[in-house]
Amino acid sequence: MEIYTIKELNFAFPGQDKAALANINLTIEEGEFVAICGQSGCGKSTLLRQLKTILTPHGRRSGTVAYRGLPLEEADRRTQAADIGFVLQQPDNGIVTDKVWHELAFGLESLGCDQRTIRLRVAETASFFGIQNWFHKPVSELSGGQKQLLNLASVMAMQPSVLILDEPTSQLDPIAAADFLASVGKINRELGTTVILTEHRLEEALPLADRVIVLDQGTMIVNDSPREASAKLAAMQHAMIAAMPTPVQVYSAVERGGERQVPIPLTVKEGRQWLDRMKGDSVGGLMMESDERDGSVLDPYASNFATGSARRAAIWNSILNRKSDAAKADSAAVAFRDVWFKYEREGPDVIKDLSFEVKKGQFCCIVGGNGTGKSTALSLISGLLQPYRGKVTINGRNPAAARASELFTNGLGVLPQNPQSLFVKKTVGLDLREMLSDTKLTTEHKRAKLDAVIRFAELESLLGKHPYDLSGGEQQRAALAKVLLLEPRILLLDEPTKGLDGFFKAKLGRYLERLNADGVTILLVSHDIEFCARYGQIGAMFFDGAIISSDYVKPFFAGNGFYTTAANRMARHRWPNAVTAEDVIARCSSKSR
Amino acid sequence: MRRSAFAAYHPFVNFVYFAAVLAFCMLWMHPVFQAISLLGAVVNAVLLNGRRAIRFQLRFMLPLFVIMAAANPMFSHAGVTILFYMKDGNPVTLESILYGAAASAMYVTVIVWFSCYNAVMTSDKFMYLFGRIMPALSLIFAMVLRFVPRYMHQLKVISDAQACIGRDYRQGGWIRRARNGIRMLSIMTTWALENAIETADSMKSRGYGLPNRTSFSIFRFDRRDRRLSACMAGLLLVLVLGAASGANAIRYFPSVHVQAMTAFSVLVYAAYLTLCLLPALIQTWEDWKWKSIRSRN
Repeated sequence: MEIYTIKELNFAFPGQDKAALANINLTIEEGEFVAICGQSGCGKSTLLRQLKTILTPHGRRSGTVAYRGLPLEEADRRTQAADIGFVLQQPDNGIVTDKVWHELAFGLESLGCDQRTIRLRVAETASFFGIQNWFHKPVSELSGGQKQLLNLASVMAMQPSVLILDEPTSQLDPIAAADFLASVGKINRELGTTVILTEHRLEEALPLADRVIVLDQGTMIVNDSPREASAKLAAMQHAMIAAMPTPVQVYSAVERGGERQVPIPLTVKEGRQWLDRMKGDSVGGLMMESDERDGSVLDPYASNFATGSARRAAIWNSILNRKSDAAKADSAAVAFRDVWFKYEREGPDVIKDLSFEVKKGQFCCIVGGNGTGKSTALSLISGLLQPYRGKVTINGRNPAAARASELFTNGLGVLPQNPQSLFVKKTVGLDLREMLSDTKLTTEHKRAKLDAVIRFAELESLLGKHPYDLSGGEQQRAALAKVLLLEPRILLLDEPTKGLDGFFKAKLGRYLERLNADGVTILLVSHDIEFCARYGQIGAMFFDGAIISSDYVKPFFAGNGFYTTAANRMARHRWPNAVTAEDVIARCSSKSR
Repeated sequence: MRRSAFAAYHPFVNFVYFAAVLAFCMLWMHPVFQAISLLGAVVNAVLLNGRRAIRFQLRFMLPLFVIMAAANPMFSHAGVTILFYMKDGNPVTLESILYGAAASAMYVTVIVWFSCYNAVMTSDKFMYLFGRIMPALSLIFAMVLRFVPRYMHQLKVISDAQACIGRDYRQGGWIRRARNGIRMLSIMTTWALENAIETADSMKSRGYGLPNRTSFSIFRFDRRDRRLSACMAGLLLVLVLGAASGANAIRYFPSVHVQAMTAFSVLVYAAYLTLCLLPALIQTWEDWKWKSIRSRN
């Protein structure tokens, strides 16, 4: 039976001519798992909010949304509250009360269930989601992943028949995101609950989905099974291909134009099998041979030249050539020497004997799991925290002792994990202008500086908006512009790709490359292996309070077993040094035909 | 702090107990009753808070007691038994010394009882009890408890981010600091309102605002709670009868007077002792039971 039938749905926000949703026709069957994707601002969230009356924004609307055969508006509030579960994007905003057990009961309290019912439902739900171990905790002590799981559980406690999730994993790290999506999959599989999910992290979501819907500027361009949808996107050469799992990207680039002989690979496993089939043999022994023909085994750094632009290659060269004199202390932009740090006197050490250097002009990416001390290390660099043993130096000086005006002007720029926290004014324009208010520049000079930064970050159309109204990617750009006005020579970034879709990530990557080419040293901390592999020069792995290994990104990721890109996991049995999707594509194309 | 056996009882039992003990402590200044109450308060505080309680009592309560007891006869000169005259000619009376000691003992006892109350009646228990009377209020309370730590956290995040562009409230001259601080507070307001919209969505989406809302709690009034309530009711009855007969009262001025000790008043003392030591008795009983179960295995 159809749970939702959407006919000829059009929607426009008040005061806007352009339709946010245009001509949507869609049916969703009971028990289906539907993934909706598309670039930021394509209307995903707007569509989801049409599916529950109380969350529907104001605006001009035509067409019908039917729930179980009847117009949605006719289902009363009580039915909708219980039957249609909705999980929001920000884990923190979804939670209302201070205790985990109370949050689980919140919906049932609203429905007016009695003690006995609530007790049972809460117990069941907590057991299903494995919450019993933190059932009595205050919400403020939970991790981001736990908070989002709590949001999911507290909706599921009402036993809805449809579960709607609006980019639920965008604020989570990859491990927590995978766990969360696995829970959603379990709900769909074991309870038969219909799931409608928007997501930009498609690597995990796609294999779970029965159907994929792709939105582009408010219209539905694809509505098919994951495999068919990927194939259609590949055939269209649509920009959304960049958000698809790596195997799909590789497939679509390699099989461009040619007719499909095999089903399109969605997972790493299928990708490997497809590669083997395409190459005709799957004997591991041939691996070295094929790589030798490739030439890359002789020079592990060559793969960087294969994909990077000529300019990037030139920087690379200069860094490689400088390798010998790089040992000189004066070329270190950021240096840690035997650094130890803990938050409380009796507490555990967070940073343990960390020795590490980032040379001037490098683009260094630090990867590693949650709670390993990555962000703490960044705070040590910016002088917000001080080590209790050892030394941190920025250009040879101690950041904690330096005056803020000296440290952060023409020196250190810090882009925090939440770019929103940089904004303090009513509009983006005012916020940017404020940065120059203390300098002794002439008005024209200020104007010129502002214009240059605005052009660089492409903020022209956003200057009049409130910073909080921008999308995640736009906020990131505005924040970057704000920091760049201080003309930093060293840029620190904490999880810059969090919550960004593939399109904005690529944009950010290009900005960073350009800055790096201008000689800015970049140190970024991220969970996003794909991003680091694509844009970084040096990769380092943080574990247990220290850096375990570091190397140039390609050999770094090529040497890792688990902690490496999907492209490398897919293709390393043939080309151990292929790290990015582009690497694999280049190798496939050069030899396949 | 170790797990308290008494705190594991239903919040209603906990609350009635403390209400009774605190009220009696303030009402009855009979020396025997005061001694019993102080003893109970100290024993319970030590059982609940351990060494910290002992340190607190020796460091703060004992000096407080001494100062207050000494201060009273210097300012109050009522009473018929004059011991000596001070330099300014005012008499120091036995009654005012005794009354000062009694009043300060009461004061100290109340504070110690409150330290026990705080350890046992956590915010969620309090909220549960009063939430039953006013469900909306209890939800607001829960939301405030959620909001405050969140707000403080975000303030720290913003402050750190601003520090890294040299615009924190801890940087620069004082005019600059003030300006940065105000700017941060203003953006915090925006932030709070902005996020409140989504939280409101989450609440509406889960049916908040529907009529007949109930209030759930993880507390259950079980047989154990009923037994303890009955036991407490019995003790309270004896004590109230004692109060009615005048056995619990004392007169300090103009001269000290208490009723003569009778068999009944001894019963009342015993009841009061049991009541004041109730949490400690429960704790000891449970510890003993636990040990005996363990040793049997």
